[in-house]
Order: sequence, then structure tokens, then C-alpha cells
Amino acid sequence: MVFTLPREGTTQWLEKLLEAGEVIAPVRGPCGDVIFSALRSPAQVVWDFENPLHPPKQFVLPQTDPLVKIKLNGQRHEVEPIHDDSSRTLFNVRSCDVQGIAFLTRMHEAEPPDASYLRRAHNLTIISLACTTPCPPGFCACTDSGPFLSGGYDLQLTDLGGSFLVEVGSEKGEAAMAKAPDVFRKATEVEVAERKALEVAAKAHFGPETCHFGSAMRRISTGRVQDALWEKMADWCLECGGCNFVCPTCYCFSVKDLRRDGTWVRCRMWDSCQYTAFTLEASGHNPRAQRKERMKRRFFHKVSAQYYTRDSMVGCVGCGRCIKTCLGTTHMPAVVAAIRKGKWHE
Amino acid sequence: MNDVFLPDIACLEKVRDETPDTKTFTLRFRDRGNHFHFLPGQFLELSVFGCGEAPFCIASSPTRPGTFETTVRRTGQLTDQLHRLGNGDEVGIRGPFGNGFDVQAARGKDMLFVAGGIGLPPLRSLIWNVLDERDRFGKVTILYGARTPHDLVYKDELEQWGKRSDVELLVTVDVAEHDWKGNVGVVPILFQKVTLHPESTLAYVCGPPIMIRFVVRDLLTRGFKEESVISTLERMMQCGIGKCNHCAIGHRYVCRDGPVFNYREIAELVE
Repeated sequence: MVFTLPREGTTQWLEKLLEAGEVIAPVRGPCGDVIFSALRSPAQVVWDFENPLHPPKQFVLPQTDPLVKIKLNGQRHEVEPIHDDSSRTLFNVRSCDVQGIAFLTRMHEAEPPDASYLRRAHNLTIISLACTTPCPPGFCACTDSGPFLSGGYDLQLTDLGGSFLVEVGSEKGEAAMAKAPDVFRKATEVEVAERKALEVAAKAHFGPETCHFGSAMRRISTGRVQDALWEKMADWCLECGGCNFVCPTCYCFSVKDLRRDGTWVRCRMWDSCQYTAFTLEASGHNPRAQRKERMKRRFFHKVSAQYYTRDSMVGCVGCGRCIKTCLGTTHMPAVVAAIRKGKWHE
Repeated sequence: MNDVFLPDIACLEKVRDETPDTKTFTLRFRDRGNHFHFLPGQFLELSVFGCGEAPFCIASSPTRPGTFETTVRRTGQLTDQLHRLGNGDEVGIRGPFGNGFDVQAARGKDMLFVAGGIGLPPLRSLIWNVLDERDRFGKVTILYGARTPHDLVYKDELEQWGKRSDVELLVTVDVAEHDWKGNVGVVPILFQKVTLHPESTLAYVCGPPIMIRFVVRDLLTRGFKEESVISTLERMMQCGIGKCNHCAIGHRYVCRDGPVFNYREIAELVE
């Protein structure tokens, strides 16, 4: 079913959603940039924005994710799992980020399932806002993760000007609409046609030169990328780990004990495969001591056919955040292009 | 759904010095009874509370249930804290993880164990398993080397194995001291002193990367098939369940697809 939500109805709907639980939406931060944050009032929501630098993955996979509480009674240790059962709604997230969360969820569902992540993901309602005007760095058309989605969302909104077209993707989506049933009405054929036209127009925004994964995938999967090319590209990498931390599909982590409120808390923390210490063993041996080896690892995980087969998608949703954050230009489209052409761009 | 990161509490029942920097810890679960099924070659994530957790191989044999053992060298913060613990102190245990050695498939075969330094503990689990079911296996040969006589682990057991008529044990050290009467040199020199039957033998190799490289080369030259040379790999494994990516080699995970691989599989791993 497809519905229409008049623009003036959004406030009432958001108020109801806020009563039911936390609502995460793009809001203007203290310095003017747009960030994903817990909403205090519907008026904070921004509707026309460039996708925030940090994806909303932190709401399913926090940078520091408390897993186990460790208590000491005398000499006796007691451990108990930490459960985050909060109900959350992600509002106005972009198509690429919806696909990013779908990727993470599939990965965490793989045997053995990761209850800590899945609890958050199952209690999350995703209301996406289709990209009628694709963002400048985005290349979601190459990763099949935008600008409009055909699934993966609970609700997909499309801005038609005076109103939003609402596509229902799941029962969770229906439940979110049922919080304020009066503000929705059945969409007309004209409105549905308008949404289709907007999707065609949005796709036309992408230029011919985007990010062609096909031949890069063939070369990476069969080890046919020359070592010298990795070395040349690795020269440009500053090992900051920024690409990992802003990536909607990166999930590598380390496990550490942190001191909190007088007890130890075992936490999962984001880590970066680009750091030297990521593979450093206690013996001093490091199987990926060189930067080129770590860079090769990152792109093998993202682009290889081996991982594509496992994850049913490349480990990239075309959001373009690595382009914005990388100081050394070794971001996804540049590396894919270099592998395809067999030559670095310098 | 299980909380995959929730450890079980285990108590240290005995701590034994092996070398100046290596100890063997005997552990018993505090709350979950003695039902602990594992295979030789599998590993644990051991927590020292407040320090975090790290992977260690199980050094004892599943044929001796009740307690289990791990042998740890002091090399960093966590192992340093672990070495400060004594009888009755508690640690966390998750696991067992990984594939382990295929003991069933090895029945009837001659068993060759080649270990260097701290590489003996994972093989010790299999060695005791084999010796406890001695009639199911063929000839047992153990070749072990360490830097100096002080760096040999399980000195009592080496003596026991040395005395057994159904085990051939040869020990060597890189650097001898004046009271050392045994072999001197790296592990591969021991190959000249034993008779091997490559077609009926499985070779289990564990030790530092440089030792593994030379031992495997020697074994292949002596006619061992790549499938018959079996090793256990070490990586910085944090989760043990193929999620954290620290131990990934290509699309394979040492913690889940390994840590035991035969040499043919190892040769196919692409970093």
C-alpha cells in the first residue's frame, strides 16, 4: 500500500513517534552542520540536507558498545550481559544508510548470531527519505543502494513538495503509521506517478564517470592487482582510519574492559583494519605490517567476489563519505578506478 | 539467543612454572559443571577481568576431563596480569573456538609432532589424546626444539615421553649450556635422526613462523603430501566467532575456519 502524508501532518506524527520511544533524525548541530541525533521536538528535523558525515550506524553498533558487566563481590566475580532493549526510530535516513544497516544486520545474523547487535536492530524502525536530488559525492547508483530503494526500509518517504509519498515496507512501518493514523491518506495514482518520475530524474543526475566495481572485483578476487599499484596507493594513505569510521558498512572491532561506575564493563569498540596494531600479535609478529597489505585487505573485504558471494552485495553503499573524509584520496571510487585502469591517478 | 560475548567463570586450580616467562594454568569451571567438550587444537578466549580477553590454545587433552589447561608466555599486559594470579583466582572463559585437529581421521596413522618453543602446547593436547588412546594410532614421533634448555616447556612430560617405549622423542636446543648433553641445532636437524614413512604419517607442526617454514619445506622434500602436513595458525583473534576481522586472511577466518589448516589450505590462503 502507498499513502500520502501532508507536510503539515509530519509534526503530529513525529510527536506520536517521540511518545513511543527515541527518534533519531538529522538535526542541525551546534556548529551548523547536520548530524544524526536523538530528537527533542519535531521542529528540529531538517528535511533538505546533505547526508551527515557520520552514518547512523552508531545507533545499532555504537562506537563503544557495552556487552558484559563484570562485578566483583569479595573474591567472586559475577558477569551479566548488558541488554539495550530501547525502541528507536530512525527518521529521514538516506537510502545508502538504510542499505548500510541492512548489510550490518545480515553480517551479525550470520552464525553465530550476535544478540547485542540484533536486539538493537530488531527494535529499530527505519523511515527513510528517498534522494530526489542525489548528493554530489554519492555513487549509490553503482552499488544498487539508491537514490530510491525498492526494499530494506520500514517506510520510505518521497518529498513531493506539499506532501510526502509513504511506501510501506514492513509491519514495523505499518505500526509506525498507526501511531497517528489520521494524518495519512491513500495515495492517488498521480502521486505514485510523480514519485516514479522523480526516481527517473534522480538517476539521471549521475554522470557517466562513477564507480565501476565489475572489473575491479575480478582483479581483486583473483589477486591480479599488481603489488606495485598497492604500494603506490598506500603511499597516499595516512592511516587515520577515517574511512573505516565514517563507513556505513565497516564493523571491525576490538574487545576491551573499561572502568565505569566502579565496575568493569566489557565493551566492543570500533577498530580500523588500516592501523598497524590491528593484526599485531603479542609475540611481536605482524602478518600485515606494511601499509599496502592493510590497504589490500580493506579493499578485498569491500570489493572481492568472495565477500560479495557471502554478503550478497559489495561492502560499499556509495554514500561517498570516504571521499569527504580521506585526506590522501585513497577512497573507494579512486581505488576502484585505479585497479580497473591498472594505474594510480597521480 | 545466546550472548556470544558472555564468559563463564573458571577458577585457577594450579599454576606451574614452565620457563622463567611461561606458566601452565590448570582451570576448572566454577558454575557450569565439568561438561566441556573440545577437540585438541581448539582455543579459548580467556579473560583477565579488567584487562580484557585474549586467545590461548587448550593445552590439555579432552581425554582427561574435569579440568583443562593452558600454557601462556608473559608478553603483554594481559598475560602479565594472568601471571600474577594464583590458586583460587578467577578468570573468564569463552569457547572452545575453531575447528581443532581431526582426531578421528588420524586413527591408524603414524603421528609425527614437530614443535618449536611455545608451539608445543597446542600439540600437547593432541599428543596426550593420542597417548591416552595409544592402540588406535601407529608410530608416535615427537621432535621438539627450543632456544635454550631453559626454554623447554613441560620438562617433566618430556622426560616421561622419553622413557616410553611407544614414543620416539628427540629434543634439541639452539644454544646449549655446559650441562646440556642432548642435541644442539634447529629443529630440522632432527629429521636426520629419525626414520619417517611419509605415506602413512600425519605431520603436526607448530612453532614460530620461521621454524614452520623450514620444517614444512623439509617435510615436503622428504615426500610428505601437502595434505599430510598440518599446522595451527596464530592470529590476533578477538571475538573467536568470525566477526571482528582481526584474524581474517582473504575471506577465511583463522578463528572459525582454522586455526588448524593443512599445508595445502595454507598455501591457498591469500593475505
